[in-house]
Amino acid sequence: MSFLINRLLSTLLTLFLVSLITFAITNLLPGDVAMMIMGTQANPEALEGLRQSLGLHDPMLVQYGHWIGGVLTGDWGTSLIFKAPIGDLLAQKIRASALIVVLSMGIALAAAVPLGVWAAVHRDRWQDSAASTASLLGVSLPDFFWGIMLILLFARTLGWLPSSGFADPAIDFPLALRHAFLPALALGLGLMAHLTRMTRSTMVGILNQEFIRVARAKGLSERTVIWRYGLANALGPVMTIAGLQIGYLFGSIIVVETLFNFTGMGWLTYQALLNRDLPLIQASVFVIAAVVMLTNLVVDLLYVLVDPRIRLE
Amino acid sequence: MRRFLSAKGLVGLTLVVLIVAIALVAPLFIPETAGTRMDMRARLAGPSLVHPFGTDQLGRDLLVRVVLGAHTSLTIAGLAVLLSIVVGLPLGVVSGYYRGHLDNLLMRLVDTLLAFPALLLALTISAMLGPSLQNTVIAIGVAFTPYLARIVRGEALRVVQMPYVEAARAAGTSDPMMIVRHILPNIMPQVIVQATISLAFAILAEAGLSFLGLGTQPPASSWGLMIQASRDYLDRAPWTALVPGAAVAMTVLGLNMFGDVLRDVLDPRARA
Amino acid sequence: MTQALVAIEGLKVAFSTDHGPVTAVEDVSFSIAPGETVCVVGESGSGKSVTSLSLMRLVEFGGGRIVDGRLRFRRGDGSAIDVTTADAATMRSLRGNEIGMIFQEPMTSLNPVFTIERQLTDGLRVHRGLRGAPARARALELLREVRIPEPERRLKQYPHELSGGMRQRVVIAMAMACAPRLLIADEPTTALDVTIQAEILGLIDRLKRDNGMAVLFITHDMAVVAQMADRVVVMYRGRVVEEGPVAEIFERPREDYTKALLAAVPRLGAMRGKPAPEPMPLLGAEAEAAPPRMTERGRRLLEVSHLVTRFPVKSGPLRLTRAHVHAVEDVSFGLDVGETLALVGESGCGKSTTGRSILRLVEPQSGTIGLDGWDIRSLGPVDLRRARRDMQMVFQDPFASLNPYRRLRDQVAEPLVNFGLARGSALDDRVAELFRRVELPADFGSRYPHELSGGQRQRVAIARALATDPKLIIADEAVSALDVSVRAQILNLMMRLQAEFGLSFLFISHDMAVVERVSHRIGVMYLGRIVEIGTRAQIFEDPRHPYTRALLAAVPIADPRQRRLHDDTVFRPLPSPVHPVGHVPAPSTYDEVEPGHLVLALD
Repeated sequence: MSFLINRLLSTLLTLFLVSLITFAITNLLPGDVAMMIMGTQANPEALEGLRQSLGLHDPMLVQYGHWIGGVLTGDWGTSLIFKAPIGDLLAQKIRASALIVVLSMGIALAAAVPLGVWAAVHRDRWQDSAASTASLLGVSLPDFFWGIMLILLFARTLGWLPSSGFADPAIDFPLALRHAFLPALALGLGLMAHLTRMTRSTMVGILNQEFIRVARAKGLSERTVIWRYGLANALGPVMTIAGLQIGYLFGSIIVVETLFNFTGMGWLTYQALLNRDLPLIQASVFVIAAVVMLTNLVVDLLYVLVDPRIRLE
Repeated sequence: MRRFLSAKGLVGLTLVVLIVAIALVAPLFIPETAGTRMDMRARLAGPSLVHPFGTDQLGRDLLVRVVLGAHTSLTIAGLAVLLSIVVGLPLGVVSGYYRGHLDNLLMRLVDTLLAFPALLLALTISAMLGPSLQNTVIAIGVAFTPYLARIVRGEALRVVQMPYVEAARAAGTSDPMMIVRHILPNIMPQVIVQATISLAFAILAEAGLSFLGLGTQPPASSWGLMIQASRDYLDRAPWTALVPGAAVAMTVLGLNMFGDVLRDVLDPRARA
Repeated sequence: MTQALVAIEGLKVAFSTDHGPVTAVEDVSFSIAPGETVCVVGESGSGKSVTSLSLMRLVEFGGGRIVDGRLRFRRGDGSAIDVTTADAATMRSLRGNEIGMIFQEPMTSLNPVFTIERQLTDGLRVHRGLRGAPARARALELLREVRIPEPERRLKQYPHELSGGMRQRVVIAMAMACAPRLLIADEPTTALDVTIQAEILGLIDRLKRDNGMAVLFITHDMAVVAQMADRVVVMYRGRVVEEGPVAEIFERPREDYTKALLAAVPRLGAMRGKPAPEPMPLLGAEAEAAPPRMTERGRRLLEVSHLVTRFPVKSGPLRLTRAHVHAVEDVSFGLDVGETLALVGESGCGKSTTGRSILRLVEPQSGTIGLDGWDIRSLGPVDLRRARRDMQMVFQDPFASLNPYRRLRDQVAEPLVNFGLARGSALDDRVAELFRRVELPADFGSRYPHELSGGQRQRVAIARALATDPKLIIADEAVSALDVSVRAQILNLMMRLQAEFGLSFLFISHDMAVVERVSHRIGVMYLGRIVEIGTRAQIFEDPRHPYTRALLAAVPIADPRQRRLHDDTVFRPLPSPVHPVGHVPAPSTYDEVEPGHLVLALD
């Protein structure tokens, strides 16, 4: 129980620091925010008006307090480019992006775990070399390159799936799935390669342990030794590594959603950054960091289920 | 395995050396205007004798562009990784060596930065500073620093508790000398491995930033920009995407292969 | 020989490595009769473990291959099979069923994420088809057989909830699950404390007698061999050197290697009645004379009083101290010039922390440390550095105590450079002299640690410790990681250096037989305190504290005529040294039973 409380308190503390850093990056960097938004040719009165409305003349701490107070009460402000309440925008976009992230993680894990175990079992043989070469190639290609290849293959050549577009999963789930599939696959391929490498090295370490030899000495079949004794020990580490990749995915959706014109969270963040929509930048950067942190918290708590040793702490 | 390892290392090293050499040397032989020279009669032309890799939508030679792109990519990635080492290495060493409150404070900060996806952090910094070569370096460098600091700290913690460090302390070695003679040499292998892998990631990040228009700016050549430009012509001229894509892949693959082998050779824990 | 349970004939095993195949064992032949204990003994690299793994064909999983020879095993139904040619299914029906095996590391031998019950029953499921309640009943029966307290509760527990000794009992129970006809035990007690070792040895011996099974016991420890074996196979560099009944091997060894091995093993009780430490008689080397008594003896060098060292246990997001590990609790002792004081005790007793506290490599909470006029605990950083010239440390692990990235010359020279004691050619001369003192060629200076053997590295570590001409050397398990023959050489070197330079040693060790050989006085530690301290004769010939007695009784003696296998039921759960913040332990008070012989008065 104290483990849980410690972990929660620590997450809250980091969350607070995340909000500080988000605010700092978007404010302390050089440049006049009003001019960033309106451009250098804007007339001075309009600029001053914008400064007033954004509260840019207040001390930094007051500005931060104003912002974080809004975040805590659910008032995220209004987007400058979409002229809409940011809270509503985020709620809709994060659903759609969650679909992509979950889908790509599912695809990646489903392929990576068996492949990684297989490579570890055939360590130093051709199977291992083949898997390791393939996964190296996989991690070496940028997601957007995978995306373009998938568009060429599935959308342009085969015509099976749409190459761009968006649907809200809360409204039309099957359509949302159709639109989310290719972006998810583009993300999932690189992720799969990475997780295959990690699963392999985790399993190699586990298969070298004494208890594996003991299991063989008991007369258990190789299948039991590897897929029960071995894999049960690999689950925790692999889960942690996969959890850490959630952060990577939330970075990559910015590129991939833009490529596929999938107007989710990544696309929204990109539009905010491109148009210097300051309130929207702050909100989306903070939300993404918070989601990443909370996912990792959940993964840590799930770890307790697969590894009995954690309970004592 | 050793044969596979050394083959892998050799291929990786060859790729890295080849691409670095091209990036460094080629700009000296390519006239400044070659990268932007447009051939309006040969727009989106397929590979030919005149244009071995074909041309883009403005009729610019893709071979020249991809070679110039190597220069941009490697310069930005190299400087960004250098920046992350210059900042992250001292932070990590100090944190791991002295531990205590300073360590708690620094690692809390690092953990906070790690909550931001690296690409998001780099994009935000670049967008706020305004995209330029220098700011791209800063953006990627800052985004990578917490990772390096974490790894260096972990290594420093491991080394600090080795008996040879205690023996040196008993032998009257001062803290600065301890760090120079005992800590740094023993964490360097890991730093080198991490730098190689970071370089690969930095090249991917630069491509991503440029692809989104928040990295290298036209008319400069960048692989990310080239792929971005190819999007509208995929049906007619797939090579406009394939050429820069293959360039990224080969560079990153080379670095990753080399990094893998380095890790196997240098990592004391891998040498059972 | 047709009656043999196992007959190994001309076994040859090779491993494929980066440099081509390497032969690990060659031409190994011996047999095991039903109900017999055969001990295979040898130093590291002798091939003893490979031989035992071959019997189960487990070498294959480690990259090994049986190249030649036959391994005949007589099965329960009377048929004989050759293990080298048996198919995979037949091998599985042997493993864990007719042959059980236990390994060295109880901490890693059990799967950390499965319950004890699951690990005890999966062998039963595979070989006996037992599931559910009958399997659980058999598992309980097994835990009772290996005398684990509260067996019902253990079934639901995970390995990390059990102590090392208890885990090894579970591993043994697992191996016994299907009542094997042969039990292979590969260094089963090497990782355990001596009192736990005694219990486990007693357990294996009882199980063997109760079930009439044969035991193949692999060990490096001649004392364990003397206690356990019916017959002994001595191995060296992958070959069998000598084989015979245990009494014959110990009393009339034929081969030089066996003789050397036996000579290098200190026997508990061998020093009875001798006034001072004595070098070990090494075969091949000239018998060394006992080091002359130091003229200066009697002058106090080190005086430790009421030393307390605790480590904070921190937890929570703010890293608050919630409790303390009381590693050293009110420890007092003195050490004379030219004297060796041994601190002995089992793992976690605080003996290493005591040594490191004296050097202030860890900071003690209270107490005083007086070293030749220095009040160590009150020194500022500058004076502490200077005071450390007078005391140096040698560590246990010869692989970790030298920086892998520095030349040995630079590492030995480091203290001299730090203290500005020598420079230029004087420095080179001094380093060469130090190498000579530890009997290493001077050209070793240009090498790196990985080019040396364990014993050679330990010599370099000693040379480094000698560089500043210290008065005190704290040797923390300095010979524990070495093979017996190398260990004897290093011990003799240390004794010779003591005689020559009047060095004082604080000799920290868990090995009672070694301690008896090298020390003038001995302090026995338990749970952070010295429970008994006195001269060697007082401690070994007249032990008073119950813990000292238990410790001495548990030490195996390298003499098959002095067998004392214990009742394995003794269970002493070790009390925890962790106490909440604010806990005030009682002070250590002693009864002086004889002049200089103190026994802790607490319980």
